[in-house]
Amino acid sequence: MEKNRIFTAIAGAAAAVFPLILGLNEYYVFLVTLIMLYTTIVVAWQLIGGLGGQLDLGAGAYHGLGAIVTGYLMVYHGISGWVGLFAGGLAAAGVAFVIGYPSFRFGLREVWYALSSLALVLILQKIFLLWTDVAGPLERYIPYAAFDPIFMRSGYKTFYYYITLALLAATLALVYRVRKNKLGLYLQSIRDNEEAAEMLGVDVRKYKLIALLVYSFIAAMTGGIYTSMVGFYHPTLFDSWISIQTVTLSIAGGLGSLWGPPITSLILLTVQEYLRITLGAVIIGLHQVIFGIILIFIILFRPEGLGPLLDTLSVRLGLGSKASKEM
Amino acid sequence: MVATEVFTSFIQYVVLGLMLGGVYALAAMGLALLFGVANLINFAHGEYIMLAMYMTYVVSLGLLQDPVLSPIVTVPVFFIIGVLTYLGVFKRLVTAPPLSQIAATVGILVLLRNLALTIWAAEPKAPPYTVFATSVSLGPLTIPLDKLLATVVSIAALLVLYFFLERSRLGVAMRAAADDVEAISLMGVDTGRLFLTTTGISMAMVGLSGSLIMTFQAVTPTSGLLFGLLTWAIVALAGLGTVRGILVSAIIFGVVDSLASGLWDPRGREIVLYGLFILILWVRPKGLFGRR
Repeated sequence: MEKNRIFTAIAGAAAAVFPLILGLNEYYVFLVTLIMLYTTIVVAWQLIGGLGGQLDLGAGAYHGLGAIVTGYLMVYHGISGWVGLFAGGLAAAGVAFVIGYPSFRFGLREVWYALSSLALVLILQKIFLLWTDVAGPLERYIPYAAFDPIFMRSGYKTFYYYITLALLAATLALVYRVRKNKLGLYLQSIRDNEEAAEMLGVDVRKYKLIALLVYSFIAAMTGGIYTSMVGFYHPTLFDSWISIQTVTLSIAGGLGSLWGPPITSLILLTVQEYLRITLGAVIIGLHQVIFGIILIFIILFRPEGLGPLLDTLSVRLGLGSKASKEM
Repeated sequence: MVATEVFTSFIQYVVLGLMLGGVYALAAMGLALLFGVANLINFAHGEYIMLAMYMTYVVSLGLLQDPVLSPIVTVPVFFIIGVLTYLGVFKRLVTAPPLSQIAATVGILVLLRNLALTIWAAEPKAPPYTVFATSVSLGPLTIPLDKLLATVVSIAALLVLYFFLERSRLGVAMRAAADDVEAISLMGVDTGRLFLTTTGISMAMVGLSGSLIMTFQAVTPTSGLLFGLLTWAIVALAGLGTVRGILVSAIIFGVVDSLASGLWDPRGREIVLYGLFILILWVRPKGLFGRR
């Protein structure tokens, strides 16, 4: 336990000075921030997917909704991005409730739940494409500010790095806590056998819905940070690719593992960005072809994902927490 | 006067929708067959259709001139692609839980989508015009011949499949597998070979439907997502079971698609189609003609 804390402290300190190591190079800081944003979604997805066993492909919808709401408030009403993050989160959780409640009520499972959440991404994309008062086919630009922390707008990407780091750390801590408390146990019982859980008196719908709402709220916050960082928003931010990426990285990382998904996500996304820089400029899309092949191999030959491997490694190093050994 | 005009254009869109539905039926049948018989969830079904469309583009540009002739190439090639996919990936998934099936086929989805992006770039590609790219007038209605041909071929292929499933030994084995895999393997059916053939036939249908869709539509690397969701929606409405169910439900989606893009906004058609899909899942989770 003591070692675990030291490890966390070292990792935190390393993350805190990381932009300095990158020499404050705007481009690299931007890439690392992006990787961390997507990793945050992967960690949040553990609530609904990893623990709850619901294969949600709605990440792109919630991310996009957060981006549009935050961006809209900043562009048209001059409302600070900090407010926007929470407004976007609430909007996403609201949509998640409207879609999630009947889905769980009518007992949508597995492939059908996955498909209906993926359909949500495309529905919202087209709605905002047609809704020209808010978004429409043109990009909307957020007014430039060199450094305005109260408005949450900055020309320096390092600003967003620290916001993202804070969100990632908070999300990790949240998932860590949930795994240990009753909610986490209820969710795992639902994942392992929904009928049995229901028979034993677990309110299946309620806990699935709680997991969905928290996850969609966090996914929307990543969207808000993203849109403020790039300085514009557009309906294509409802990106089905984010949904697919989130799920594949989580599964490659190992469902239900605590460290597997975030570490796998950080590694694979870094590899992907590296391939994009080196190969993507030569042949567009090639880096993602390689990404796809890696995924298929992991799923076919290590169906339990990389999580157990990482957990064993952390136990070897004497870092394994009790929670990761129990699960 | 205005009322009759509105009525005529309404009928026009319904007619177009009927034809579209015929083509969608074939596209969805491959998915329904694989899901029904082998219990395999193929999340990359739309991506295979996209690949068939690109193949149609390539062969009709370089080899055959007219996309109408392209099934000569796409159908056998896709049968082989199906066999290879089964041996490479699906074989390991048959007994796997749904989650692994979805995960692995999402991997295929990522691979095919980006392969298409790498090879053909993001711009839409359309084949040269077919000789059928004209239309005939039927009273106030206009019937585009390319779509009519695609519908007729598609429905003919479904009829062949129907009689194959009803009459042939293999077809009976497939229907039996849809009911109870364990029982038929106890009766001495080699389920491995049966699933292999099923995947091959499913992909051959994908090849044909990709070619037919391509006679009147362009393709981009993201077309796969559209056709993937659309075909799953058709299967959801039909429920698993019958060829007729797939045809009826595909026609419903075809008409809705045509009316939404014709009377409202082509960009809004996906809202209507997928909205309908989600509603169907809520209201009739077993589909209209589902046997289970």
